[in-house]
Amino acid sequence: MLQTITKDTGNSGLSSPFRGTGGFILHLADSALVLGQRNAEWTAHGPVLEQDIAITNIALDLIGQARNFFAYAAQAYNESKDAGKASFNNLLPRPWIAFNRELQEDDLAFLRDERQYLNLLLCELPKGDWAFTILRQYLFSAYQLPLFQQLAQGSDQQLAAIAAKGIKEVTYHLRWSAEWVIRLGDGTEESNRRINKALTELWPYTAELFEPSQIELDAAASGIPIRLEEVQVSWQNHIHRVFGEAGLTVPTNKPFQKGGKAGIHTEHMGHLLAEMQYLQRTYPNQQW
Amino acid sequence: MLVHYLENTFQQKIDAETRIEPKDWMPDKYRQTLIRQISQHAHSEIVGMLPEGAWISRAPSLKRKQILLAKVQDEAGHGLYLYSAAETLGISRDEMIAQLHSGKAKYSSIFNYPTLTWADMGAIGWLVDGAAIMNQVPLCRTSYGPYSRAMIRVCKEESFHQRQGFESLLVLCQGSAEQKAMAQDALNRWWWPSLMMFGPHDSDSTNSEASMQWKIKRFSNDELRQRFVDMIAEQAKVLGLTLPDPDLKWNEERGHYDFGKINWEEFWQVVGGNGPCNKERLDARKKAWEDGAWVREAAVAHAEKRAARKAAVAA
Amino acid sequence: MVSKTTDTSRITEQEVWSILEKVKDPEVPVLSIIDLGVLRGVQLDASGKLTITITPTYSGCPAMDTISMDIRLKLMEYGIREVQIIQQLSPAWTTDWMTEGGKKKLRAYGIAPPNPKQQVCHQELFATEAIQCPHCNSWHTELISQFGSTACKALYRCTDCREAFDYFKCH
Ligand SMILES: [Fe+2]
Ligand SMILES: [Fe+2]
Ligand SMILES: [Zn+2]
Repeated sequence: MLQTITKDTGNSGLSSPFRGTGGFILHLADSALVLGQRNAEWTAHGPVLEQDIAITNIALDLIGQARNFFAYAAQAYNESKDAGKASFNNLLPRPWIAFNRELQEDDLAFLRDERQYLNLLLCELPKGDWAFTILRQYLFSAYQLPLFQQLAQGSDQQLAAIAAKGIKEVTYHLRWSAEWVIRLGDGTEESNRRINKALTELWPYTAELFEPSQIELDAAASGIPIRLEEVQVSWQNHIHRVFGEAGLTVPTNKPFQKGGKAGIHTEHMGHLLAEMQYLQRTYPNQQW
Repeated sequence: MLVHYLENTFQQKIDAETRIEPKDWMPDKYRQTLIRQISQHAHSEIVGMLPEGAWISRAPSLKRKQILLAKVQDEAGHGLYLYSAAETLGISRDEMIAQLHSGKAKYSSIFNYPTLTWADMGAIGWLVDGAAIMNQVPLCRTSYGPYSRAMIRVCKEESFHQRQGFESLLVLCQGSAEQKAMAQDALNRWWWPSLMMFGPHDSDSTNSEASMQWKIKRFSNDELRQRFVDMIAEQAKVLGLTLPDPDLKWNEERGHYDFGKINWEEFWQVVGGNGPCNKERLDARKKAWEDGAWVREAAVAHAEKRAARKAAVAA
Repeated sequence: MVSKTTDTSRITEQEVWSILEKVKDPEVPVLSIIDLGVLRGVQLDASGKLTITITPTYSGCPAMDTISMDIRLKLMEYGIREVQIIQQLSPAWTTDWMTEGGKKKLRAYGIAPPNPKQQVCHQELFATEAIQCPHCNSWHTELISQFGSTACKALYRCTDCREAFDYFKCH
């Protein structure tokens, strides 16, 4: 199963064994979950109480979105016929097979192996300093908003509903993070230095946001309205405007880090999962 | 003479249950007592985020992760609310935070105990938020207006926390043997410290008398502790858990539960800074504050630039 | 009023609505789930099967499970044991669904009710919003924090009476 993943060196991104819409829904879920997990590391440790609350709230929104996506994926799996189920094969959590019951949201969230998570690499990077967290959130929200706007127009009603619900929250996240990018860029010398450093570190990971992978191609083929090139245009416009106000220069070098959507992660991912999964792995198949 | 007149008017208001508002005259001692109490309460909310926040990344389900995140966010909101209420008395949040960091201001000692297992999240919600509610419900009628109004809304949110904590323990108690043992162990560790949350015996409590006269406080430590024991003893039966006190039994005559002796030596040690996590908690708060200094400076610098540009445009 | 021993087969949708008026938001218990606009539908089909539709205020709302349980408990008091509760995401909840009565109750509780949506739900950066102090009615107020204890609230301060108060944000 997993051995079938091969690294494609061409421009089309990485090929993936995860087919159909299932992979795409899990990709959306995983990005939200993993970024929520990272942001929550700030809870009780924020630079000032107001922002401690704000970043915790964003984490909560993201976990909520993730839960909606996971619940939907589990339901879609349970309700699909054999052929549909087969398209999920590589995504199923191995411990779940022994449970002998329907698939649940938490099985997907907590029991897959590292190579089965399909989040953007951007989301799993350690939280860094406040500048890194802010800029990462901004780059992500500016991508998530137009993406959700597309999904909200789709004919898959449940997916459209989850996205439409998320749009309101993401609108807040985008506004909040954009204001902070401007504050830090146009604040003190120190804050400007830090946000520039964060930009250098994060920029390489923006590559895979817009490069369609197999999961997006499959989802598009199944009728989900994803047009990443339009998401990219909207993202670039937003970034030019906000970076302009922040006094930041949009990097000209071509970003190159990718792999998350095919389950090939950074070294940080395993640690994140070890912590997140520990109770579910220690006490399998319990109610919590 | 004037002060005497003002003091009389002030006490008459208190006696008539009229709320004291920020711009009213008040005795300096009243102001200081309130600042001490409200800021201590705010600090407790903030320090209290640490032992629970540490479990967000390990919460065992998406639902519990959501509930825990939302709960800790609530506590931060309470802290913010209370700092703002204290500010109406003429002290700044920065001053209060400096007092916390220097050790001059206290926070609830309960948060100097470690959270060792997932069941501790349920136990904290049930016992610690439960004890906080016992202490805080009477504060909804406290004489200082902003504090009493804040407490009304805060208490409703605390009740929700207690309910969620209880429910989370109930799930463990109805789960596997290991889960139930985890819940019992958490209760064993949190029970006595939660009784200490009501403070020393009335006979040993120093700040109580003036606070009672000014109606900042309305019930004594021992009265509130007794109510708490009576409530929890009943709820523990529903969970099927045993309170770790061989002396606990219903006293028909008193109409209350009798309970064993509190280890006051432990209480004073923890208050004095020698609890299991006193140092970690304070260090974590100081580190967050110091690491955040450049962020706060940047925010101020940017706000000034923005204001200056706006003024320039207007001119 | 519906009696507590209602025969389920005879109950009307209208009566179910009036029973559910007694189910409150667990964190802001002055608001019922109807005031809040969280209760979206009550449906009783010919066979007497009852379906209740609720919607979360935001994706991560931790109160939905509690609200579902409270609905079941409340209906049980009236002898209604069979009920299906559906959590519906679309159309997404908006503060425009909060009833006028609900807004009045919020204000009396010390929380400034949401402004009409079109006024403020925009993406403009660094925008500020005029909020009236629920304590003294002054418009001289300033933002302390965009997020309060719960996601749906922001914290403001009145510069006249100095009260710190929650504002139920437009959403
Ligand atoms: Fe609290
Ligand atoms: Fe609480
Ligand atoms: Zn006012």
